[in-house]
Amino acid sequence: MSKLILFMSMSLDGFIAGPGDEQDNPFGTGGQRLHDWLRVGEGTEGVHDFRPADEAGRTLFDEMITTGAVVTGRRTGDFVDYWGGDHHDGVPIFVPTHRAPDGTHAGDVRFVTDGIESCVAQAKAAAGDRDVLLHGAYTARECLLARVLDVLEIQLVPVLFGQGRRLYDSLPPDHIELDPVRTLESPGALLLRYEVKY
Amino acid sequence: MNAPIRLYMSMSLDGFVTGPDDRAGQELGRDGFRLFNWLDDRFDDGPNGQVYGEATATGAVIAGRRTFELANRWQGDHHDGVPIFVLTHHVDDGDVPPGTARFVTDVEDCAAQARAASGDRAVLVHGAGAAQALLRAGLLDEMEIHLVPVLLGAGRRLFDTLGPDRVELELVRRLEGRGVTHLRYRVGTLGR
Repeated sequence: MSKLILFMSMSLDGFIAGPGDEQDNPFGTGGQRLHDWLRVGEGTEGVHDFRPADEAGRTLFDEMITTGAVVTGRRTGDFVDYWGGDHHDGVPIFVPTHRAPDGTHAGDVRFVTDGIESCVAQAKAAAGDRDVLLHGAYTARECLLARVLDVLEIQLVPVLFGQGRRLYDSLPPDHIELDPVRTLESPGALLLRYEVKY
Repeated sequence: MNAPIRLYMSMSLDGFVTGPDDRAGQELGRDGFRLFNWLDDRFDDGPNGQVYGEATATGAVIAGRRTFELANRWQGDHHDGVPIFVLTHHVDDGDVPPGTARFVTDVEDCAAQARAASGDRAVLVHGAGAAQALLRAGLLDEMEIHLVPVLLGAGRRLFDTLGPDRVELELVRRLEGRGVTHLRYRVGTLGR
């Protein structure tokens, strides 16, 4: 059964980007710190440039890049120009949005305008028996509220940011229980996997 | 450095330490009790009991004024009659706190007094306000975060006004308790 998995690097105090995250500064000021658990390679291996050196980091990274589809928010997608249409292995990229943009994108980028549930259902169908990778805090919130987010995979980075963009800024008053199903210790982050209990 | 000054704090995965609307009569905020379920095991063997035991084996307490008042001043005794140093901006004339509690208005003075009183035992820090003041002054040594697998979505944050400098931490211990992960971090350098 395909699962929708949010992969997100977060500071201990709950920030996923530094302050002032914009198109030309997508991680926010200092926000690159949250991604130090990834490797930065020579720029010759595509997404594999980021494959960490340690075993725990590799396990998680390999899970990320063997997903069968990507769902990304419009904001996140626009920031990175939809990874040039290829996040990894050319799997389709689904973008929930109110209005599809004019023109076309390179690669397999599909804008979905009939709701988040439909977007996720289409992504899961495309992924087959593989999981679906979710990118973007706003869309993650929408997925949580629509009860279609299955798994949170949080890379908890040992740093306090004090300011920036939060994972979740406003959720309904009823709290959401999580089931911790796996913890891996990478030198640069604690890799925490939770299943969402609705 | 001898014994550390260590914050103990229960926190949701999304970084909240109380539910929304924390006030007298609802000290942990709406739904905030959820963060403290692990204390049901505080006298049991296992990680939850171990961590609670460590917290109550500390030799002094530093608390913020807000936490101190919300806790009804602990009737003057937090645990074992160890001294309680309450960081506050202002002390009313004639307001003498009960038991072993005393008010301190300077954060460095507060840390120094607590260390001296605690001897070779750790100092327990209570409350986000006190922790923030100590952190900014470079006087917080460790943080024991009880990470609870829940999204609260609203409430009081662990740190709300940290300033522009980020703080690097080092994970020095991880204990998996029932319904909670106890993460001990050593506070490192300030950086940008």
